[in-house]
Amino acid sequence: MDARKADRIATAVFWAIGIIALGILAFIVIEIFARGLITAVKPSFFAGKPQALKEGGGVGPMVVSTIYLVVLTMLISFPISVGAAIYLAEFAREGRFTRFIRFCLDSLGTVPSIVFAIFGMTLFLFYLNWRTCLLAGAITMALLNLPVFLRSAEEALRQVPLTYREASMSLGADRWTTVKKIVLPTAMPGIITGTILPLGRIMGESAVVIFTVGVFVRAIPLSPFDPAAPLAGYIWYVQSEAVVPDYRTIVNGGAAILLILLFLINFGTRRLSAYYSKKKSLGG
Amino acid sequence: MHENGYKFELEEMDLYYGDFKVLEDVNLEIKKCCITSIIGPSGCGKSSALRCLNRMNDLVDGARIEGSVVLDGEDIYDRNYSVVGLRKRVGMVFQKPNPFPKTIYDNVAFGPRLYGIRDRETLDGIVEESLKSAALFEEVKDKLRTSALALSGGQQQRLCIARVLAVQPEVILLDEPCSALDPIATQRIEDLLSDLKTRYTIVIVTHNMQQAARLSDYTAFFMIEEQGDPGKIVEYGDTNTIFTKPTDERTERYITGRFG
Repeated sequence: MDARKADRIATAVFWAIGIIALGILAFIVIEIFARGLITAVKPSFFAGKPQALKEGGGVGPMVVSTIYLVVLTMLISFPISVGAAIYLAEFAREGRFTRFIRFCLDSLGTVPSIVFAIFGMTLFLFYLNWRTCLLAGAITMALLNLPVFLRSAEEALRQVPLTYREASMSLGADRWTTVKKIVLPTAMPGIITGTILPLGRIMGESAVVIFTVGVFVRAIPLSPFDPAAPLAGYIWYVQSEAVVPDYRTIVNGGAAILLILLFLINFGTRRLSAYYSKKKSLGG
Repeated sequence: MHENGYKFELEEMDLYYGDFKVLEDVNLEIKKCCITSIIGPSGCGKSSALRCLNRMNDLVDGARIEGSVVLDGEDIYDRNYSVVGLRKRVGMVFQKPNPFPKTIYDNVAFGPRLYGIRDRETLDGIVEESLKSAALFEEVKDKLRTSALALSGGQQQRLCIARVLAVQPEVILLDEPCSALDPIATQRIEDLLSDLKTRYTIVIVTHNMQQAARLSDYTAFFMIEEQGDPGKIVEYGDTNTIFTKPTDERTERYITGRFG
């Protein structure tokens, strides 16, 4: 077979594989929206109060719970992950200790979320005697996301050319000043892009939510110590436990809202990252 | 006060990266307000030697110095010597232009801000003065607030020189500053350095022998005997002598282009 023919066949095969992958994704999105979008966009649903027994309940507190949990988790995990990434990328000398840290991180990264969920439940509910609440979930979720987030932040920091650090230090800046003024601002777009995966995971995580946050609330949670019911956990609960007659409608509508929230957050994150890229090159 | 006309005095300096000896027995006196060039084949340790002068080798894991490097009578590798103070006095320009991904203004103001200058007018003055000294002001005066990364390679390198001048150093180290530039941009940098030497002590590493001959007052020729050996100074003296009547046969072979 001559090279041109092989090239043409390879091109066709890869196109086909790409189209299949996109097709599967499109199918999932279309399927979820076809079943749930009409419910999802009704104000009585996305902002309404849930019902325990009757039909016609909404998911207002659940939408708020989801966003609340995402924000709270990011507030906890952003400084820890970025801080640890700065330590690993900028300050630590490569050696046995850093290798050990990376080994632990990689191991933790593959632990299923149910294990974190049980750890969180044991720590907060049994030892500390908290009730299920947003903060317990957020801390557990921060731990769950630490390995992935830390690695992506470290990668973003390492992408900053060494020559920037050299220039800064040759002007008399110490390491911390160099990190603060040069490395971190330069790496920021990459660090923010790296939050997309953890953000999606927080939104879609149900095990941690079920064990530490709660699956049903009537009121919108206000304090971090309030019980809440983020959508992913609520969908699981309605599907498997609830006795409302319209549970299918709620599950489909909830899934559609979750998907819309994910799109919004993804879009917002990208905009933020682009904003930082622009600000960075302009000196901001 | 230490007055013998020498800015730097290196005595029996060895440089190690871990167990590997990079430089051996370097003796070098660098005269004030002159341009001293360091030449030699690739891998002979000339950049490493330059980086001993502002302790940039400290950034390399396991880097270690024996012997002494004296700046104005003080050993810069002394325990109590301030590295920050040293780098303020001894600025560096790198092989590849490396402006920060910031505006032209913020690049030049980076050093002064580091040393606590916050006043707007003072900063404006320093930025303008430094850009003028680096022969860049006329080209960029209308776009100080735009990204430095949009400048050409030659302009970026002059910006890096301006950034160094802004902290008012006494010595400027340049590590093959023209190797990424075209001949016209190179010419402008060379003219600039000739102007600057009245006020600054300049040490330049170059692989371009014509550049060393044109530009410098003194020349040090570094070489390694065999792969894996440390770099050593073969010959050091005033540039004219080195290029017209070298005493060492290896220097002559190198400058006439027979190896390296």
